Amino acid sequence: MQRQGFIDRLKAIVGDDYVIAHPEDLLVYEYDGSVDRAMPRAVVLPASAGEVSRTLALAYQEGVPVVGRGSGTGLSGGALAPPGGIQIAFTRMNRILEVDTENRTATIEPGVINLDLDNHVRKFGMRYAPDPSSQKACSLGGNIAENAGGPHCLAYGATTNHVLALEVALEDGTMVNLGGPAREVPGYDLRGVFVGSEGTFGIATQITVRLLPLPETVKTFLGIFPDIESACSAVSAVIGHGIVPAALEMIDALSIRAVQQVTDAGYPEDAGAVLLIELEGLWEEVDEVSREVESALWETGAGEVRVAEEDRERERLWLGRKTAFGAFGAIAPNYYLVDGVVPRTRLSQVLRKVSEVSEKYGIIIANVFHAGDGNLHPCMLFDGREPGVTERAMAGAAELMEYCVAVGGTLSGEHGIGLEKKQFMPLVFTDADLAVMRRTRDAFAPANRLNPGKIFPDDDGFYQIVPQPTPPPGDTGMYV
Amino acid sequence: MTEPIAQQLADLLGRDTVLMPDGAGGAANTPELEKYAVDGLAPQVVVQPTDRESIARLMQWAAARQVAVLPRGGGVLSALGNRPAQVDVALDLSRYNRVLDYQPADLTVTVEPGVTLQTLSRELARGGKFVPLESPLSHRATLGGILAANASGPLRHAYGLARDWLIGISVVGADGVETKAGGKVVKNVTGYDLNKLYTGSLGTLGVIVEASFKLAPLMDEWAALAAPFPSMDAAIAAGRSLIAQVYAPQGLQVVNRPAARRLNLTADSAAGAYVLALFAGRPRAVGRRREESARLLGQSGATAVESLDGAAGQALLRQVTDLGWSDDTIPALGMRVNLPPTAVGQLVAAIVGESAGESGAELGLVADLGFGVAHLLRWPETFDQAAAGNEEPAGDAVIAGSLSEIERMQALARSMGGTVVVEHCAPAVKARIDVWGGAATEAELEIMRRIKQNFDPLGLLNPGRFMGRL
Repeated sequence: MQRQGFIDRLKAIVGDDYVIAHPEDLLVYEYDGSVDRAMPRAVVLPASAGEVSRTLALAYQEGVPVVGRGSGTGLSGGALAPPGGIQIAFTRMNRILEVDTENRTATIEPGVINLDLDNHVRKFGMRYAPDPSSQKACSLGGNIAENAGGPHCLAYGATTNHVLALEVALEDGTMVNLGGPAREVPGYDLRGVFVGSEGTFGIATQITVRLLPLPETVKTFLGIFPDIESACSAVSAVIGHGIVPAALEMIDALSIRAVQQVTDAGYPEDAGAVLLIELEGLWEEVDEVSREVESALWETGAGEVRVAEEDRERERLWLGRKTAFGAFGAIAPNYYLVDGVVPRTRLSQVLRKVSEVSEKYGIIIANVFHAGDGNLHPCMLFDGREPGVTERAMAGAAELMEYCVAVGGTLSGEHGIGLEKKQFMPLVFTDADLAVMRRTRDAFAPANRLNPGKIFPDDDGFYQIVPQPTPPPGDTGMYV
Repeated sequence: MTEPIAQQLADLLGRDTVLMPDGAGGAANTPELEKYAVDGLAPQVVVQPTDRESIARLMQWAAARQVAVLPRGGGVLSALGNRPAQVDVALDLSRYNRVLDYQPADLTVTVEPGVTLQTLSRELARGGKFVPLESPLSHRATLGGILAANASGPLRHAYGLARDWLIGISVVGADGVETKAGGKVVKNVTGYDLNKLYTGSLGTLGVIVEASFKLAPLMDEWAALAAPFPSMDAAIAAGRSLIAQVYAPQGLQVVNRPAARRLNLTADSAAGAYVLALFAGRPRAVGRRREESARLLGQSGATAVESLDGAAGQALLRQVTDLGWSDDTIPALGMRVNLPPTAVGQLVAAIVGESAGESGAELGLVADLGFGVAHLLRWPETFDQAAAGNEEPAGDAVIAGSLSEIERMQALARSMGGTVVVEHCAPAVKARIDVWGGAATEAELEIMRRIKQNFDPLGLLNPGRFMGRL
């Protein structure tokens, strides 16, 4: 009776068609891109900030926890419904509201897809720099919650460096504006600490981001290396030369072979690793730096260096990077992805550890990652139907995370803690550190009704871990 | 009567850590302590720790006795903030100043809070790296102070603010417990990003005891252009056109005539304003940026374009950064207006017409057209009086004039989506305003209050100085 009443009252806010409550209809909302799953009690699809606010106010009254959901591409379980909770999905709030070409800002609704915004503003000679590999599918609201990264964050910073203002609904439905149209706003930087709070502080209903002018020149290099060690020394050599490229990505031998089976990215199948390096800027800058990049690649043992300046050639070089994860389906039906970050000089040491872990646990591990940032993405590939293999993969992932922390790194560079890494937080943070983080959350959400059970290790949640299937070969529905 | 707190602290932390000028307890109101006064309020004691354990012990001691602690670095920006509600202990962090971990190959550095920007920059340069932070008086400004006050300079357009470079932080809280957030890697979403919360919080949430930054490669070349224009309007129009170009400079400031005079810009005595363009980077790129910028400024009505190389360019950059904070340029009234970039021109247009000849004072204007910030500096003609510092009682006319000007500027800025921070004013003026101007909404301020309450429930860290008198 009470439950029916709650759903009806949700329908009264957003309309009958925009509350999903039948179990079979809810199935697609049970997942995100991580290994966890949780069935929401209902999914609400609001059309306006007012509807978001009223939905939150109702849920607050009823004691129902809430999480926002963008496109469900997250890799840490961030968008999964808390136990007994509802999801607010932003599918319908996907308008680009304003592009200010002079101040170089865009104001959007949270359901706007990252790449749609970027494509739109390119017409005005600008771009939205953060480019998570899921950018074809992921929403800006989700990017804000997770402080999403991407290849070009090396030069331009992650989402947090590009957010100016947020309109936010708090847990009880109160609306508040954080930040503002100016680059600097006095007072505590509430907008700054909100970005990356994984849906626990509030739910953004409108977002103003900073845009960057398009560079005059873009040049992409593909360095082909006989082994991963030499590719790692090339990374160190480039950074050591005082060069911070726009992007610096690595693809290992296993991934190269997987890619080449699915599409012809032109990578030699006997290569040990390839590096993708992109330079941007004034023609003079790119020209000068590209000589240094090329010589760094040759000096560290590259067998071949390909260079592209035209868009179509550049896209071809990027093709392998972008299809790599989709190609893993040909290797194994399930995956688990690690997102550790280490100081860049530790890359080759940590990749050796990855090989050891692969051998020790008998799990295939592929590496496609943001080398310039030191952000690894060891992808554990396995068949979840094999008894005990999921547990072995998880144990291997845990050992890798511990190792990343031990060499001065941390658990997650861009995917978030969510559910799947929360038990590892004590590797990085003391109880006192976590207590200060809770105090911050309590200032935004004193009743802890937004996305409870995430991030903090001792916050309980009732979630079921199941191995996530890799997509069919060639599918690009999985992104890293 | 209990022991004077100076004596208690000397017993707790050791005599070397506590500034006791007359060699005994009860050192209040000695000239040494006056140097640490904030808004004319001298502390009872100055603590100068060289390790973080002492800072933790101090905070535990202070919490037990409800003693107010005012953290400070080089004291460069100590004019910032509302008048403190209580001043007991000045926590001088300038001796806690080592570079702890510099990894040039990783492009990261970790420091103690008291290291000065100049010292750090020199050390970083030895490894070919650069931290793109700026502050007035960089030989005194400490990294902890820069973070707490969110100091910046003309290169903020290209490099952003301290929040964009800070990657990890350790803080001793009001309860004396040290905690951390972030780390030493350049990309990190492990836990909440409290780096953002502490940056610009003016020491009201904790004492910064360690900070890690990501770094940039050292700039090979520096240069600047100084171009006089007949009027402020013409300079703003030219500056706006320049900042939109693909070859735009890393920093672009427009200064009016009174500000230009303080910067010793004399290329054209009839100039109403100057465009200052600052360049940093690889030599060939700097060369092209400078050349094309000079051409554009010439075509846009500059009466001359003076080109400054390397050291001269850097010297100009330093002067612009220091303006309003170096001893001989401290204004009687100084305001920082944060705006969307296009609104800077509108703001200047709105105020420039009426600025001349008011009450014998002159209004200096420095506008950052790329980033969107304007500094308004009112220097009285009788400059000696202002230079004597804020302790001097201001005349009624100055008070009334300042208050009405602040109010007018706040209304103007608000109408343009901006905010005003009063950085310098007479004590009598400060007593009547919130120098931070107030948050956009009550809901936002309520979250800030809860943050302060949750971090410093007794209100002992820089009490009363922050927005909303937090």
